[in-house]
Formats: sequence, C-alpha cells, structure tokens
Amino acid sequence: MDTISHVALSLAAAMRRDLEVTANNIANANTSGFKGERVVFESYVADGATSGDRTDFVIDAGSYVDLRAGALTNTGNPLDIALNGPGWLAYRTDDGRTAYGRDGRFMTNGDGNLVTVSGAQVLDEGGGPIGVPPDAGAIEIAQDGTVSSEAGVPLARIGLFDVPAIQSFERLGGGLFVPPDGAVSGAVPAVGTAVVQGAIESSNVQPIVEMTRLMDIQKAYERAMQINKTHDELARDAIRRIGRQS
Amino acid sequence: MKALGIAATGMLAQQTNVDVISNNIANANTTGFKTSRAAFQDLIYDSVSREGALTSEQGTARPTGIDVGLGVQTAGTVRLNTQGGLSATENGLDLAIDGAGYFVVNMPDGSRAYTRDGALRMSAEGELVTLQGYSVDPGIVIPENTQNIEINEQGVVMAFVENDPVPVELGRLTLATFINEGGLRPVGNNLLEATVASGDELSANAGDPGVGVIRQGYLENSNVNIIQQITDLIAAQRAYEMNSKTIETADQMMSTATRMR
Repeated sequence: MDTISHVALSLAAAMRRDLEVTANNIANANTSGFKGERVVFESYVADGATSGDRTDFVIDAGSYVDLRAGALTNTGNPLDIALNGPGWLAYRTDDGRTAYGRDGRFMTNGDGNLVTVSGAQVLDEGGGPIGVPPDAGAIEIAQDGTVSSEAGVPLARIGLFDVPAIQSFERLGGGLFVPPDGAVSGAVPAVGTAVVQGAIESSNVQPIVEMTRLMDIQKAYERAMQINKTHDELARDAIRRIGRQS
Repeated sequence: MKALGIAATGMLAQQTNVDVISNNIANANTTGFKTSRAAFQDLIYDSVSREGALTSEQGTARPTGIDVGLGVQTAGTVRLNTQGGLSATENGLDLAIDGAGYFVVNMPDGSRAYTRDGALRMSAEGELVTLQGYSVDPGIVIPENTQNIEINEQGVVMAFVENDPVPVELGRLTLATFINEGGLRPVGNNLLEATVASGDELSANAGDPGVGVIRQGYLENSNVNIIQQITDLIAAQRAYEMNSKTIETADQMMSTATRMR
C-alpha cells in the first residue's frame, strides 16, 4: 500500500538527477570541445496484488552524450584545432590510458610534444606522441591532420578516429572519454573528418534549451511534491472520517 | 544538492574568464603583450551506474551508464603567441621582433627574463637597457659621440662614431627561443620567466631558421583583438547568469521540498 508517495518520490529523485546533469551542462557552456549529457528516464512497472493494479515508477535508466558538433570559433592560434566531422582525437592520459575527445587546444610541453591544456599527450595515427622540434617555427596543420614545420617539412600526422562505441565510454573529465574497464576502444581511422587549424570547437550546450529544461525540472519537481501533499491530505481526511464513525 | 556546487564551479570559472578578459582589454595598448585565454575543462564525473556493468549472466552489459559531471574547472590560461602588428616609431632604439624569439633581459638579481618589448633606451653609461633600466643581453655599450645607431635584421648593433663613415660593430643582440613558449611565466613589466614547463632557453640569433628578424624603428603592438574580447565578455556574463539561474532553481526546489508538509 501507499505506493502513491513512492511514485511521487521516484519522480522527485529523477528530477534531482536531471537537475545535476543540467547544472553540469550549463557550467560547461564555455568549455571547448564539451559534449552535453542527457538523462534517459524509463518507467518501471510494478504489478500490484490485484490484476489491473499497475503502478509506474520513474527510474533514471542511463545518461547519454549529446554528440552534436559545437560551433567553430576562430582563435588564430596555430596550435588550436577543431574537428569538422564526427571523428575523435586520441590522447594518452597521465596514467597511460588511451582516451578520446574533441578538445583541440594544444600546446607543446617541455619535451616538445603536443599536449592538451591539462597535459594529456596528443597521439598520432599509430598511437605515438607528436613531437614538434623547437626550430619548426609556425607549424601548419593540414585538413588531414598532417603537422608540418614552417619550412614545409612534415613532422607527424594527428590521429583522427571514428569511435562507434563512444556512448558506452566512461567520462573522465577534461573532455576525455575512455573505454570502460577491460573493453577495447574499437577505434578505426576516421572517414570524413577534417581538421581546421586556428579554431576551436565550442561547447555544444545550447543555453536556451538548458534554461527551459531547468524550468521543466522545477515544475515537475513541484508536481511531485504536490502529489505527495495531496496524498497526505487524503490520508488525513480518511483517518478523520473513519475515526468519527467508529 | 550537487547542483548548487556544480553551478558554483560554473560561476567561479566565468569569474576567472572575466578576470583574464579584462586584463587583455587593459593591455590592448601594451607593447609586445600577448592575449591570454582561460581554458576550461569539465571536472570529473560521478558514475552513478557504470557503463559495461553486467546486466545478466549471459554477459550482456549496460550500454550506457549514468555519469553525473561535477562542474567545470579552469585548466589553465593559454597565451596566444601570434605576431602582433608592427607600428613605426622612427626611434632608432625601438626594436620589434618579426617572428619567433624573445629579447633576453639581465635582471638585477642575476636571473634572466624574456620580453617581446623592444623599446630600448640608453643608460647613463651608454648601455642598451629596457624601460626599467635592466641591461639587454649581451650588454652592448654605445660609445660616446655616436651619431647614429644601426641595428640590422640579424640583430647586429653598429654605431657611426663622429664623422667616421665606417660603422663600429658593437655586438649582436641575443634572442631566446623555447620549446614551449606557452610555459613561460609572466611576471609583469612585459617580462616572462622560464619555467620547467617552458624548458631552458635556446640561444639563437635573429634571422636563423625558425627565428624572427629584428626591425629597427618599430614596436610590436599587442595582439589583443578587442572585438573578440568584448564578445567573449558578453558570453562570459551570460554564462555567469545562467549558472546563477541553476542555483536559483536548485534553491527553489529545496524550498519546495521543505514546504511539503
């Protein structure tokens, strides 16, 4: 008995989860290469004791990554790249794992390797680091990811990959996605992804959408609370009436 | 409620963003100044349920998990090391580097600092110094009665003394390059210091491959793009507002919960 308040509670709990995910999207509205996260809700059906007595609870079944591309913003920095197309860049994290992401704000570290802002090494097609010698001058990065020095000497080629299983990857933060424990990445060389030098990909979070979601979440939460309140009043009323009769 | 903390990280990040942008705008007319940009990254994720977790004994696995991100962080400020425009000053001691490289400044404490600001002056002893009076490596002294100073593209300083038509070669200005220019630490006064991230200075001469040349009578403008900065400022303010909206929503939801009974 008393499933009503639990149904309302399941909605309230789901809305709180949704709020957290939305808050994170909004907080990252200015994070380059960021991909928004979405929560998926499912109904969980519980059959009651009598036939026809069916109750649907809300459960948060999972969250998925919104993979739409963000807008390209021109920065003029030769070490900034953006990807035009569905491909991914590969990085080596500090703990040696291969991660994928679309953050193209590169710099060189003290060893002359291309790294991201947080120090993750950018990998070439073969999975090796990309070294830029100090005398390379202003480097050029071609559409296919080929890095060449100012004098036109090719240095390396930035690895571009298609990662079909990206939705099942774990998010590490720092714009990185890694395969879940023990799984293989399944990354293959990208088809139809071009590199744009001197630009970065903005976050794909759409502020208006997130704002309306905030409103939706709040109203749904209030609704859940209202159901609880109504249920509480019903119960109180019932107790009062039954109490008077006996 | 995590949403409060998440939105707070967003507001903090936008504050940093506005700080960096305002410094860029303030230095729009500073010789040799390079624009900085705050670079943000998403913080770690709280995996409420893990992707790949087994959902049956047959080995089927969860295709997606629930990842709740915990906000945003400033991963660093990235200096945009592109060439600034050159403006003619007609002053023979104003130098600009056209290309990569830094002038080396010998600091009073014996350390070395690096700068793109080539507005040089003469000290009382005739030495070439920066506007702060620090000597510029290798410490070139201009002889008395010099009529004219010529500094060529390779950084060789020549003086025409008295009426002698043949110039006296006084020395060659050192330029420094770095493996990772972005790792240099700004210390104010247009000076930068080497760090572990930048690597040690690599001595070079102007005009070497991959190194810039020296232009006498020019100064390098800052590379601040004001239009870009103002639009970034607008975006930062809006992002800040949106995060405050999240806090408001979380607050109202909590108050709904407390008002329930």
